[in-house]
Amino acid sequence: MPSGALLFQSVLLGLLLGGLYALLASGLTLYFGIMRVVMIAHSAFLILAAYLAWYLHERAGIDPLLSMIVTVPLFFGAGVLLQRLLLTRLRPATLTMMSVLLTFAIALLIEGLLGYAFTGTQRRINLGYGSASIEVFGARIAVVKLIAFVLAVVALSALYLLMKRTRFGRALRATIQHRDAARLLGIDTDKVAGFGFGIGLATAAIGGTALSLDTTIYPSLHWHWIGPLMAIIVVGGLGSVPGAAIAALVLGMAQSLLQIPLGTTWAQTVFYVALFATLAIRPQGFFGGRLAQRF
Amino acid sequence: MILTLGACGGDDGGDSGGNADDPIVIGVSLPLTGDFSEPGKGVQQGYEAWQKIINEKGGLLGRPVELKILDDQSNADRVVADYEQLIGKDEVDLVFGPFSTRLVVPSARVAEEYGMLFVEPAGAAKEVFEQGFKNLFYAAPAVANDHYNYLAEHILAMPADQRPKTAAYAAMDDPFAQGTAYGLKEKLEAGGIKTVVDEVYPPNTTDFSGIAAKIADSKADVLVGGSQYQDGVNLIVALQQLGYQPKLAAFSTAPTNPEFASAIGNKTAGVLSPTGYSQDAPYESNKEFVEKYTAANGKAPEEDQANGYTTGQVVAAAVTAVGCAEQGECQQKLVDWVRANEVQTVVGPLTWDETGKPKGAHMIQQWIDDDIKIVLPAPVKEAEFVYPKPAW
Repeated sequence: MPSGALLFQSVLLGLLLGGLYALLASGLTLYFGIMRVVMIAHSAFLILAAYLAWYLHERAGIDPLLSMIVTVPLFFGAGVLLQRLLLTRLRPATLTMMSVLLTFAIALLIEGLLGYAFTGTQRRINLGYGSASIEVFGARIAVVKLIAFVLAVVALSALYLLMKRTRFGRALRATIQHRDAARLLGIDTDKVAGFGFGIGLATAAIGGTALSLDTTIYPSLHWHWIGPLMAIIVVGGLGSVPGAAIAALVLGMAQSLLQIPLGTTWAQTVFYVALFATLAIRPQGFFGGRLAQRF
Repeated sequence: MILTLGACGGDDGGDSGGNADDPIVIGVSLPLTGDFSEPGKGVQQGYEAWQKIINEKGGLLGRPVELKILDDQSNADRVVADYEQLIGKDEVDLVFGPFSTRLVVPSARVAEEYGMLFVEPAGAAKEVFEQGFKNLFYAAPAVANDHYNYLAEHILAMPADQRPKTAAYAAMDDPFAQGTAYGLKEKLEAGGIKTVVDEVYPPNTTDFSGIAAKIADSKADVLVGGSQYQDGVNLIVALQQLGYQPKLAAFSTAPTNPEFASAIGNKTAGVLSPTGYSQDAPYESNKEFVEKYTAANGKAPEEDQANGYTTGQVVAAAVTAVGCAEQGECQQKLVDWVRANEVQTVVGPLTWDETGKPKGAHMIQQWIDDDIKIVLPAPVKEAEFVYPKPAW
C-alpha cells in the first residue's frame, strides 16, 4: 500500500505532467479542427523549439523563457507559410491521408537537419534552478515543472480568449464548423486557416521551450511524443482545445498514479488503452463532441 | 613482454620452422560499415595500435605481425564467410574476434570448427558463454553482471553500523543496462541489504518523475541505476528535484559521459560508475598504450580501442609463452595456455573460466571534485572511496 505522502506527491506530479501534455497537444488538435490535417511533424517542431532554446542559452546565455520572443513569431510565420505553400496544395478529397505523408516527411526533414546541425549528442539546458523545488505540505514541486505548468496555463488561456473573444477567433471557429458557410459570410477562410495553423505552430514554440527546461533532448526524441499526443487529442475529441486539455490532465494524472502499482511500462500504456477505448466506444472523443462544435 | 625467439615459429599451416622474416598474419573481420561501424572502427584502431607497437619491439617470435582486416558490413552471414576465407583459404596464422555479440557468436563457431584460438573484444552478453565454445575468450575485465562486483564487495565489507540497509534499483529494459544493476542487486540482497524499489522502464521513457517519486518515498540508502546516458541524467535530475539524498548513488554508463556534469548541473559529487577501461589506470602496459596511441592519433584511446588492444595483448602473451603461431596443433596449445594463465593487459590482469568468461570485475569510478576518479579496487585507486556521498 503506497504511503499518503507518495500518493500526494504523485497527484502533484500528475497534474504538472498533465498541464505540459495539454500545452503540447493543443496545437495538434487545432490543426485537425481547422482543416482536418493530421500533423505528424508537431512533435518535431516541439523538439526544434527545444533545440533553439538550448542553442540560444548555450551560445548567448539567454534564458529559455526569453528565447520565446524569437521562436514564437518565427514558428507562427513558419506555420502560415507551411499552410499556404504546402498544405493548401493537397486535394481536399484526400487531404487527411496525404497530410500524414507530407507532415511525416517534414518531421524526418527536421530530425535530419537537427542531427546535421547539432549531431545526435544528447543535450540538456543547464539551468541554475534545474533541480530546485518548492515544498508543499511535505511534497515537492520542481521549479522547472511549475514554470512549464504556468506556461501551459497562460498559453491555453490566451488561446481560449483569442478563440472566444476576438473577431479572428469567431472567424476561425466558423471555419472549423463549416468552411463553406463561413466563406458565404465573407470570411477569407484560406487566410484564417493559415493564421490558425500559425497559431498551432506558435503553441509548439511555447511547448518546446517548456519541454527544454526539464528534458534531455536529441533529434529523434519527437517519435516518443507523437503517440501519446495523438492519443490525447483523440480522447479529447479532435478539434477541441478544451477537450484536449481535459484529456491531457486526466491521462497525465492516470499515468502518474498507475505508476505506483504497475510500474513505468504499464503506466505508459494508459494512452493506448484510452485511445482504443475511445475509438471503440465514443469515436468523437470523450471530452469533445458537441464541445468541439462550439470550440 | 620481451620476446624470446621461438624455435618453432611456423608459417602457413606447416609445422616446419618458419623463416624469421615471414610475417605472422592475423585475420580479422570487423564491422567497418553498417550498424556497428562506430565501435567497429574503434576496435580496428586498437588492433592497429597493437600491431604498430609490437612491431616496433621486434614483432612476435621475432617475426613482424601483419593484420588482414575484412569488412563484414555488420552482417552475420558476411562475418562467417570472412572467417571461412581467412582461415581456410588465406591460411592466416591467428585470428582476432569481430565486434558485437551478434557477430561474435557466428564467427566463433567457424573458429571452433577449425580449432583456432578465438580471443574477442566484444562479448559482454551472457549468451556468448552459453554456446559451449572451447576456444573463445572475452578480452575485457567482466561481463555486464559482474560490472559492480568491487562495489558489492566494498559495501558488504563495511562495519554493520555504517553499512546501508536498503537499496532502490531502476534499470532500463535492455540486457546490458539491466544486467549491470541486477548483478549488484543479487549480491547486495544476499548480503542482507533490502530491496525497497525495483523499477524497470522502457528505453523510450521520457518522464522519470514517477519513478523518482517512488524512490524518494522509499528513502533508500543506496540508489542503483542500470542506465544508458539520457535516462540516467533524467532520473538523477528528477530525484534532485524531489530532494532525495541517497548515501550512495551508482549509475552505469551515464557518469563517464563527457556531458554528464553539465547535464545534471554539476551536482556530481560522489556519483559512482563502473568502467571497463580508464586512460589513467596505472597498469604498466596502459601507460605505454595511452602515450603511444595519443602521440600517433592526436587523442587518447577510449574503451573500444582498449578492447582491441587487449585482444592483441592476450594473443601475444600466449604466442610468446607457447612459442608458436600457426594453424594446427599449435592452436590447441595456445588455447590451453590462455585458459591456465593470467595475462597483464591495459585493462588489468585477466583470467578466464572454462566458458571463456573473464573472472574479473570493472573498476569503480567516483566523481570527486570536478573529476571522475578510480576508487576501487584498492591496488589501482586514484582517490579514496567517499561514503556517504555529499548531498546533490
